Amino acid sequence: MELIKVIQGIISILVILVLAPMFAGLINKLKAIFTGRIGAPVLQPYYDLKRLYKKETINAKSSSFISVISPAINLVSVVIAAAMLPIGFARPIISFEGDIILFAYVLGLARFFQILAAMDIGSSFEGMGAAREATFAVFAEPIFFFTIGSIAFISGLTSIYDIYHSIRLDNVSYLVFIIVCSISVFFLAITECSRMPVDDPNTHLELTMIHEVMILDNSGIDLFLYQYSSYIKLFIYSILETSFFYPFGVRSYSVGVIIFVVVIATLSIALAISETITSRFKMKNIPQYLLFATAIGILNLLIYTFTK
Amino acid sequence: MFEFTILILIPLLSSAVCYTIKNIRLQYSITLSVSALHLIFSLMIFIGWYQPNMPFYFSTDSLSKLFLLVLSNVYFWVVLVSFSYLKRPVASNSEEGKRYYFLLLNFYLFANTSAILSNHFGMYWVAAEGTTLSVAPLIYYYRNEEALEAMWKYLFLVSIGIAFAFIGILFLTLSAKGTSLEAQQLFFSEFVKKARELNPVWLKASFIFIFVGLSTKIGIAPMHSADVDATSNSPSPIAALMSGSLRITALLGVMRIFQIVRPTSTYEFAKIILIIGGLLSLLFAFIFMFKVNNYKRLLAYSSIEHLGIITLGIGIGGLAFVGAMYHIIYNSLNKVVLFFTAGNIHRKYKTREVEGVSSVLNILPWSGWLLLISFLAISAIPPFGIFFSELMIFEGMLFSDKPWLLAVTMFFLLFIFINMGKTLFQMLYKKNENEILPIEKERFEIIHFATIVLLILLIAIAVISPNILHENIINISKDFGIKL
Amino acid sequence: MQNVLSILFCLSLFYLAVTSRVKAYVTVLRFQGILLTVLLVFPFIHHFSIFALILPATLFIVKVMVIPRYINKIILDLDIKRMIEPTIQQFTFLLLVIFSMVIIFVASNILSKSTNIETIPFASGFSAIVVGIFVIIFRKKLIVHVTGFLVLENGIFLFGTAVASELPMMIELGTLLDIFVVVFLMGIAINKISSTLSGFDVTALGRLKD
Repeated sequence: MELIKVIQGIISILVILVLAPMFAGLINKLKAIFTGRIGAPVLQPYYDLKRLYKKETINAKSSSFISVISPAINLVSVVIAAAMLPIGFARPIISFEGDIILFAYVLGLARFFQILAAMDIGSSFEGMGAAREATFAVFAEPIFFFTIGSIAFISGLTSIYDIYHSIRLDNVSYLVFIIVCSISVFFLAITECSRMPVDDPNTHLELTMIHEVMILDNSGIDLFLYQYSSYIKLFIYSILETSFFYPFGVRSYSVGVIIFVVVIATLSIALAISETITSRFKMKNIPQYLLFATAIGILNLLIYTFTK
Repeated sequence: MFEFTILILIPLLSSAVCYTIKNIRLQYSITLSVSALHLIFSLMIFIGWYQPNMPFYFSTDSLSKLFLLVLSNVYFWVVLVSFSYLKRPVASNSEEGKRYYFLLLNFYLFANTSAILSNHFGMYWVAAEGTTLSVAPLIYYYRNEEALEAMWKYLFLVSIGIAFAFIGILFLTLSAKGTSLEAQQLFFSEFVKKARELNPVWLKASFIFIFVGLSTKIGIAPMHSADVDATSNSPSPIAALMSGSLRITALLGVMRIFQIVRPTSTYEFAKIILIIGGLLSLLFAFIFMFKVNNYKRLLAYSSIEHLGIITLGIGIGGLAFVGAMYHIIYNSLNKVVLFFTAGNIHRKYKTREVEGVSSVLNILPWSGWLLLISFLAISAIPPFGIFFSELMIFEGMLFSDKPWLLAVTMFFLLFIFINMGKTLFQMLYKKNENEILPIEKERFEIIHFATIVLLILLIAIAVISPNILHENIINISKDFGIKL
Repeated sequence: MQNVLSILFCLSLFYLAVTSRVKAYVTVLRFQGILLTVLLVFPFIHHFSIFALILPATLFIVKVMVIPRYINKIILDLDIKRMIEPTIQQFTFLLLVIFSMVIIFVASNILSKSTNIETIPFASGFSAIVVGIFVIIFRKKLIVHVTGFLVLENGIFLFGTAVASELPMMIELGTLLDIFVVVFLMGIAINKISSTLSGFDVTALGRLKD
């Protein structure tokens, strides 16, 4: 039994690592279809990654060793975070009491090094992007703690796997609580993965970019690492979102996997739709958008705890 | 049912009738007869010739009898002078305002009577909001910018204030949870009887919310601004109506909750709140009297001052309470007089600024002298009623546990008197250099007649001191548990 | 069920805090009206009676159909610009709303220990009252003030259901009528203000001062 569980865990992380670019490709394809274009093939991110891998890395003269190590640290942190997420009720390979904190701060570490690297280059554009990323991160972090954190607070568990296991939808107020949480996490996912309406991944104007502007001067393997880790990050947050949707009572691995696939597909459609119908916010409106998501989380926690 | 018909249904009906009739004179005669009927009937109820037995959510007690009489008295005189007022020329666009004038007046009577006679907090709230709604369009009678702004502010602020009062009423329901009053209707009489059982925390909250909410309507500082704007920019009969009757209707709500609070541990707290409200009103009147340069605003601040004195008297209790009850009557009579004469001056000089008014005594002898006399009356010069009621309030203050209040009040009143006198005497006596005396003297009009009658009434009540009134006020004091 | 409606109610308040369109305010009013109607109808599902439906039906007509339509008509007639013109930043406003909401929820939870009240609707109703006042204080447009006032009234209504005060139906209908007439008069006043003072916001009202 133990061996199977370990294998399932390994499968989970492999699934994340392999399928992450495809998920991004899927969203782009769907978005293209919704706007009436043919769009790039679903596997386009893989081709991009392959192309980047072949290219030579050039760092700016003014940059220090930070620029050299940060892409690798970025990827590693994201992969560690990915290894903590359950897919289809399999216990992930990294799972212990309190790993929710590790999860949040490993992602924080990735972000930290990315910001640092962007500042290291010394270009004003990248500095601006780093400033924006840091500002919005301040507002995005509370969302995580008021959603996943509040579930942890209520269930008394501190491991992501256990937290998701504790979700039982047999009580109406808890059901509402979970639904509202999932909405909040959706906002979080959009922010963290630089999707519309917070950030436009396909924009061509540096002044309006947040995430893309930070990696403007990277090339070759470095860019490959950054891109790959951003695909994985998108997938991580999607998994966070899907985990809310495992209905009560299902505890078998195969059913869990089926649900996972279905929900991920639905989610990609939802993301594509939301990206199609919304336009990018003004930069000054983004904090209030994030605060709105936090507010939902706070309200949700308040209402749930005060319900008799 | 008979009294219900006369006091409440007939005003409503005549309001509907006024909607159908286009002729202003006919509307006037209908409204006047309704108001006379109302006055006679409330007098009968007050004297005790008729024992009322109100249906539904209505009832009468000593307090509502007194307030009803004050209301119908003020209303009658206001209606009486209204027609002569409507005949005055105004800007062309305010002609349409005349069409709804009597309709709204009738509706005001309906709503205000319902508020005074209601025995149910919900009913009181609905009716009190009804009075706001009927008065707001009347404020806009002149159809000018100031009146529009005043109407908007009054409507908006008072609506919010009264919404707060509604929260207070809901808190009152909460305070009844777990007592024998739970799940019962919000009848004043029941609450007064079983007040001891109420939860003190919620009762406190309820008192504060109702007091603060209604003080927008009473005009107690610091919520008085909309009230001042409205009173100073509305036509004089409406200003008289507001100062004389609408404010005390709102005061009634505060007195009802005060009556409930009395036997409970919240009593001392409520008294302090009332005293603070009263003192703040005096303070604001004191401050603004220094700089006000609009004589109608001056009178509006005088209203704030006197309502402040009344609130103070109620808060202090004892003899001051009795004085406050007398003060309600005298103040309402006196305010009607003041606003009527101020209206005459406004008609002649076409301005509300003190600067633009001079030598009123020469140009408008009737109005001038009446203004002078009514100013002396409102400043508590004997033998006018206000003197006696203020004396009673002061005596109550002196023998209460807070005698220092007397000093503060006297200080404020002195300066209010000086400033008000300075302004009004300037209007009355100041001579303009290039002044032309009008050839024809001011004619004696019905408005002067009303003013003189009211002034005589003001002296007569004080000097004769009818026993029936005294008994009634003693009964009210007993209802409020005041030992004399 | 009451809790679910209360959560939706609070969400609508948050939306009110972040949106900057006048139309969105009207939509929120409509949404809140629907929530309140559902809240009123809900207890009658099990023992149905036509008589009990009079109040919810009136509420629906007044708060969902008539008043929002009336406000929309004013907006259309006067050609009021679609932005709400806040006097403070939306972000600060939202922070203010969150803080006051947290305080209200915690306070009402403490209060509910001594008195038998339903914490969630109580607190949600009170939050709506506070948000309504904030809207009135921190917005310039008069039409937005009217919507703020209506949000306040909705809050009082929700609050009233939490307190479980059994006001007689006559009086409930009376309050609804009063609110409707208030809004009607305010609408007329805004009309007049826009024509005589040529402005839709509080800066047009500065004549009366001492």
